[in-house]
Amino acid sequence: MSMFSSFTRELRFFLKQPAAIVLVLVAISLSVFSVWSGLSEVERQQETIERLLVADAKDRAAVLAKESDYGGAAYYSFHLTYDPPSRLAFAALGERDTSPWKHRIRMLALEAQIYESDTANAELAQSGQFDFAFVLSILMPVFLIILLHDLRASERAAGRHDLLVATSASDNNLWRSRAFVRVILLSIGVLIPFLFGAMVSGASLLSIVSVLGIAIAQILFWSFLCLWASARSYAGPTIASGLLAVWMLTTFVVPAMSDAFIEAIIPAPEGGDIILTQRESVNDAWDLPKEATMETFVKEHPEWAEYAEINRPFEWKWYYAFQQVGDQSVADMSEKRRAAILKRDKAAQWFAFLSPSSLTERSLTGVAGTDAKAAMHYQQHVRNFHGSLREYYYPLLFKGAAYEAITLANLPRFKALSDRK
Amino acid sequence: MTITKMIAKDEWRYWWRSKLATSVMLVGLILIAGSSILTAKQMTDAAHERAHLQSEAEEAFFSQPNRHPHRMVHYGHYAFRTPPPLGIIDPGIDAYTGDSIFLEGHRQNSAMFADRQASSELAIFGALTPALLLQTLAPLLLVLIGYNVITREREARTFDQLIAQGMTPLKIMIGKGYALVGVAGLMIVPLFVAIIFATLDGEPFVSASLFMVGYALYLLIWCIGIVLASTMMRTPSASLGALLAAWVVVAILIPRISSNAAVSLVDAPGKIETDFAVIEAVSKVGDGHNAADPAFTALRANMLQQYNVDKVEDLPVNFRGVVAGAAEANLTDILNKFAEERMQVEVAQANIARYFGWLSPVLGIREFSMKVAGVDLETHHRFLRETEALRFDFVQSLNRVHAEKLTFADDANRSSNPEAEKRTRVSAENWKVLDEFDFSSLPANNRIENASMSLMKLVFWVVLLLVLCRFVGRRAL
Repeated sequence: MSMFSSFTRELRFFLKQPAAIVLVLVAISLSVFSVWSGLSEVERQQETIERLLVADAKDRAAVLAKESDYGGAAYYSFHLTYDPPSRLAFAALGERDTSPWKHRIRMLALEAQIYESDTANAELAQSGQFDFAFVLSILMPVFLIILLHDLRASERAAGRHDLLVATSASDNNLWRSRAFVRVILLSIGVLIPFLFGAMVSGASLLSIVSVLGIAIAQILFWSFLCLWASARSYAGPTIASGLLAVWMLTTFVVPAMSDAFIEAIIPAPEGGDIILTQRESVNDAWDLPKEATMETFVKEHPEWAEYAEINRPFEWKWYYAFQQVGDQSVADMSEKRRAAILKRDKAAQWFAFLSPSSLTERSLTGVAGTDAKAAMHYQQHVRNFHGSLREYYYPLLFKGAAYEAITLANLPRFKALSDRK
Repeated sequence: MTITKMIAKDEWRYWWRSKLATSVMLVGLILIAGSSILTAKQMTDAAHERAHLQSEAEEAFFSQPNRHPHRMVHYGHYAFRTPPPLGIIDPGIDAYTGDSIFLEGHRQNSAMFADRQASSELAIFGALTPALLLQTLAPLLLVLIGYNVITREREARTFDQLIAQGMTPLKIMIGKGYALVGVAGLMIVPLFVAIIFATLDGEPFVSASLFMVGYALYLLIWCIGIVLASTMMRTPSASLGALLAAWVVVAILIPRISSNAAVSLVDAPGKIETDFAVIEAVSKVGDGHNAADPAFTALRANMLQQYNVDKVEDLPVNFRGVVAGAAEANLTDILNKFAEERMQVEVAQANIARYFGWLSPVLGIREFSMKVAGVDLETHHRFLRETEALRFDFVQSLNRVHAEKLTFADDANRSSNPEAEKRTRVSAENWKVLDEFDFSSLPANNRIENASMSLMKLVFWVVLLLVLCRFVGRRAL
């Protein structure tokens, strides 16, 4: 019997099994729902950014119109920074519900601003999001277990097993084509909504292929595991229970334990300590002799040495210098914290191999640019932009340039890492 | 021994002999016990750490040198949220909201440093807390142990024998139910121990025992549901399939769907976005640093009239301090209005998600657990309100010092005259205006009252399933 005819035979067989059909239909509708809700969440984020951009420009223009010196302009004008969702973000919303992806910053000490998070409702974040990554990494294994665990056991229970084996040309071929039909129908059903979503959102071919690759790996892993288990001569429910136990342990228990373990072995400086230290430094500056602040400042920025003299009780250049000294005082801690977070992320990459679900989820958020690494990347981008504000204002402040409103037309503009990746 | 007890005992004997049931049970117990110990350690450490940071922050504030009082307004203060005693079982949204907040003049900051942001983010379902295990995984374990309590008897044709001996299906169901309840009882032993610890830590007896009752009711729902499905289905495969489908829908799907629905139905603009409206509203209040701001013309006229003088210099109080206080009060009114609106939107979202508790007992118990423990969204909001009160209080006290202990002339000339500047520095004694902050849970009866609706959801499920059992028990032959 040819491959094709055994395929069509099994397809006809499948179509006579209401339970299997219902399951595939349920899987399709969940996939559709996940893609739809991912697309609408991404659209919400896009719209938010667009609204913020308009409001931000309007607010800054209004504020700058009132100012009469560069110090005041820098103090009162905020700048929106943001990380737009990638074109693939709809499929894996990732950490965007807990990690900040938008800030409004100004030229004051950055460490006091960068940890502000403008994230969504905490109680809802706890439930998590229903995106395509969730369907693929968490639900797909359950679907496969239900569809495949009793390939043989059901026939055995129905008393047809031996007859089927005796009449088919090759024992393995029979089960293989039966499993093949089920897996293919389920996979197509789950992946087509994703492809549709990817087309709507204009994802690149490479990213789509990557997602398909991840999906195929996940599906193959669980299919082979189920097939291996279903070949044991236990009763169907026993096989299913065993497979589910594996799923439960690898989906819930192993990742949570790895998480706790990683946090224990890779300590990160407490964010609160950074803020407190920075705050103390900035506040102390008011009581210190101004030369002391300027000295510390000039040490890091010798280019301003000849302009660092402060004569009046209040000068903007002194004010911004001690803001920057505040940042300098925690630069080390802040650097360590970021390094620790990246190190945790790297360790997590290895631990993810213990959990197919986590590996799938991580790979998807990686491709979609919604993972911890992307969040850190964005943070670095904000730091760079903040640096460019300083570069822009310092010559004006230190050299005591006369205020001309027109100069501010050249204010650095925040440019997102990429418009939409 | 009654017949139902005999059935229960027989079922236990069967489980004892079956490798699958005992290993599932053992894994469950180890997980729940292990996570209870770890979570308890983690949360008590966090509680100590935060209490320590709190007193450190107060210490730092008190030990500031003599200086201008407004400097202290900007120096600011920190407040930390300490977890409640039952937080060792259910930390709730602790990991998702920041646990510290910086309090300063002229601004309401948001809470900072949610743990989740610095975690390795492997755990898709969050940390393995006893609450998560009991709410989500314990039911799955119960399903794996008990899906075939009746379908097995049917398959072995012993069900008919029992009926022939004069048993009713309902009695068999009750017996099997007893057996499962016994398993569930074993699963909440670690919970019981943890609750005793929480009680020793100051949790009132009423709320602690109600907490226990809630979890017992919740697992009872699953026990009844499992017996029911096992009775309604004809084969072990079918009963397992049905129960697994139910578990996936109720424990995995509905919680996520509920949060998606809440976000889609109620639009919650972020803080940055509402800040634009705040800036617009605040711009009308006037800058409290600038006593000459036209916004304070009326205040000036009133004061001059009240003290019957011609110039602000002749007022018995420092007009600049008065302006700072008035501006802070107006500003705070506006900020509070926006903050309240934002909290209401969040609660509206959470309430939509909570409606799904009628569909999923997993959401029902989650709400119940967080409300009784005092780790829900509303508790976080209470933390924000209490810290705001603390902020306003110390800022206004400092503004009063600013108005009463400084002269207008010194205050106005302090940037140009070093002598005047020295006189504007007030003694550090004045920093004592800061109140100590200790965030504690609501009284037990308030928390119980808040949890009553979620308790209803659990009771609803028990009653519904019992009625179904009665109905099915009459026909299942």
